[in-house]
Amino acid sequence: MTLTRARRIVQGLFLALFLFLFIQTESKGTDELGWPVKLFLDFDPLIVLTTFLAAHRVEGLFWLSLILVGLTLLLGRVFCGWVCPLGTLNNLAGSLRKKRPRPPGPAWFRVKYYILIGLLASSLFGVQLAGILDPISLTIRSFSLALYPAMSYAAAALFDAVYRLDLPLVTPASEALYALLKKTMLPFQQPWFAQGTFIGLLFLGVLSLNFVQRRFWCRFLCPLGALLGLLSRWSVLRRSVSEECDSCGACAGVCQADAAPAGKETWRASECLVCNNCDDICPKNAVRFGLLKGRSGGGLDLGRRNVMAAFFSGAFAVPLLRISPLARPRMSDARLIRPPGALEEGQFLQSCVRCGECMKVCITGGLQPTLLEAGLEGLWTPVLVPRIGYCEFNCTLCGQVCPTGAIRRLALEQKQRVRLGHAAIDRGRCLPFAHATPCIVCEETCPTPKKAIWLEEVTVRDREGNPVRLQQPRVDLTACIGCGACEKHCPVVGQPAIYVTVAGESRSPEHQLLLQDPAGPASPGT
Amino acid sequence: MKRRDFLKWTALSSAGLVLPAGLPALGRIAQAAQGPDLVVARGTPTPQLVRSALDALGGMRRFVARGDVVILKPNIGWDRTPQYAATTNPEVVGTLAKLCFEAGAKKVRVFDNTVNDARRCYRQSGIADAAAAAGAEMVVMDSRKYRDVRINGKALKSWPLYGEIFEADRVINVPIAKTHSLSGLTLGMKNWMGVMGGVRFRVHQRLDESLVDLCRVIKPTLTVLDAVRILTANGPTGGDLGDVKRLDTVVVGVDPVAVDAFGATLFGMKPADIGHVRLAAQAGLGVMDLSKLQIKRIGV
Repeated sequence: MTLTRARRIVQGLFLALFLFLFIQTESKGTDELGWPVKLFLDFDPLIVLTTFLAAHRVEGLFWLSLILVGLTLLLGRVFCGWVCPLGTLNNLAGSLRKKRPRPPGPAWFRVKYYILIGLLASSLFGVQLAGILDPISLTIRSFSLALYPAMSYAAAALFDAVYRLDLPLVTPASEALYALLKKTMLPFQQPWFAQGTFIGLLFLGVLSLNFVQRRFWCRFLCPLGALLGLLSRWSVLRRSVSEECDSCGACAGVCQADAAPAGKETWRASECLVCNNCDDICPKNAVRFGLLKGRSGGGLDLGRRNVMAAFFSGAFAVPLLRISPLARPRMSDARLIRPPGALEEGQFLQSCVRCGECMKVCITGGLQPTLLEAGLEGLWTPVLVPRIGYCEFNCTLCGQVCPTGAIRRLALEQKQRVRLGHAAIDRGRCLPFAHATPCIVCEETCPTPKKAIWLEEVTVRDREGNPVRLQQPRVDLTACIGCGACEKHCPVVGQPAIYVTVAGESRSPEHQLLLQDPAGPASPGT
Repeated sequence: MKRRDFLKWTALSSAGLVLPAGLPALGRIAQAAQGPDLVVARGTPTPQLVRSALDALGGMRRFVARGDVVILKPNIGWDRTPQYAATTNPEVVGTLAKLCFEAGAKKVRVFDNTVNDARRCYRQSGIADAAAAAGAEMVVMDSRKYRDVRINGKALKSWPLYGEIFEADRVINVPIAKTHSLSGLTLGMKNWMGVMGGVRFRVHQRLDESLVDLCRVIKPTLTVLDAVRILTANGPTGGDLGDVKRLDTVVVGVDPVAVDAFGATLFGMKPADIGHVRLAAQAGLGVMDLSKLQIKRIGV
């Protein structure tokens, strides 16, 4: 078996593992998932490094990323060539076009290093943007918010059509298949995400770039690839070319990156994905990978001016993004309801890598990606939209899957005391207040042991002046945790008659509403 | 009026009201004359309690025949564990499923249209495990299987209801007895909200009449009211163990209104205190007057 063949099998296995863990990122009715679903993120040194720089914190499993650092120091960018799920998807997309496109330019491979330098600079000064371009975050986010929901939608449409036709034999068979797929790979319920279309198009855009150049993303853009590329310069796995080489150039055509394999002395360790294509194709069998001493000929000259420009661009992004009032306390969007256990907004933005794991796992589907609600700095961070889904009282899954601790993992009893905000009643829309019509749904669905919504029995008059005895809801701020169950279930269509805002959210001292809180501070920080 | 006469009158008048759905009801009410109207059983252990209650009513074989597909409809609306008494006791559901199979049932299917997430409700209530242990199928309700049912009631003209309720051979309602902030109590009749599709929270605007309307079209073979634990305040959601009272009781009967009427007494209330029970009795859907019912009390 050739090494290329072995690599493809390994790539397939890692992609399968990635997809398996992705599918397992879903509740099965308990508060445990049973699988280390964020494993790929835990192994990602770019996430660990930028979170450390921006938020000065490392999460419990950060040492897993050191394994990848060590592996790269030893063997080069094997992660890119053999493991990365986005790399494998790029390989697959690239193979759709038989003819290899011409490379766009000899220096483009440097772009990813400038991107990396910019991201590191902005995180150094406290803005965490790496997750937007980190390949693992990007892939999980795109799968969670776009591809998987689209797949679920397509499957439902297809099977529903057959179901409606009600054909003998065919429909029972397709229903059995549908049930099997639902049990194994389809989501429990159709996920709906704001910006799903947009995020999906961006991901398809990344894959389409393979038509411009195979593995365009990996060669030119990927910041994790760049980080691993820098580490690879010291790797001990080296490529050597023997005297047999007659410079036929076969290797240049099959190189998955811009490693310049054709020249004996110009091979760039930082670019090589260790895909072994050059080794396999060489007609003279002149190429060899082995543990060798010395440095490779092809250095990584990024240009001092360019590096400085990248660094200062990243650094300047910090004040440019921070002049938005939205990330300031008391100026924030009233509906910027963060998941339970989310850090105080500043720290939260410094830690969140927008991987979408929390949105994927959210049992009600209420966690949605922001667009500009938290400023551009907060792009694609999670916000609870209660109308779509409320925060389930007995669930702590979002905190369990967060790779950086932006959403802290809380014990259930702790989580049940965290206030995401407070509910407020719109008396102009509420049926018992505005329309002399009975309704108690908000009170009924309120999950707290001491109900945060209580009912006052009153007599109101209808249009004819007849007395109507009914109950009007009131919110008890000392008990309300802002979970949004009331808002979700409010039967008033459109703008609900009860809704949650960030007023009172535990994570922000500035957002407290009451001078004295009989329940005591529920801040997750204490 | 004698009890027998009353039953005949009820049967005839309700048949007149709800034809053609009234015909099987007529049969059932005639059948009810074979045993007591209600069995109220008290004691532990719960599985034995359920068994004894059914035996006192004439045994499950009276209701379930060989080869039947039986639906058990517990109340699993909330994500709560059994001790909070917000969901039907899993042992009651599991034992009923076993009794159905012992009577020859081909399939026993268990479901509820939950308010909280169905995965969590099914698991946390203990009902998924209890159903699986008894060999019953725990079904997540399928949004495609609701169909508009003409009701022609006072509040509901038609509403999407879960089709399987009408397709199954037997339907056993297995509610839990709880307080409810609007209807006073949630017992058997209120439990049918769990087969409603559509925007069902709208029915709270005329809740009592809507529940009676549901009772016009949904005709369970049997109602088994779980009062092993009851929720005495903050219902139907609960969440505070201080509101839970242990009664170790089940109330079993064919007449859904009679079961609910007795259920009210478990909370120290009169049947007529519960609006939908009163209205249902007035509409001739069952008997509310406990003095007119033959009630068999047993201890376990």
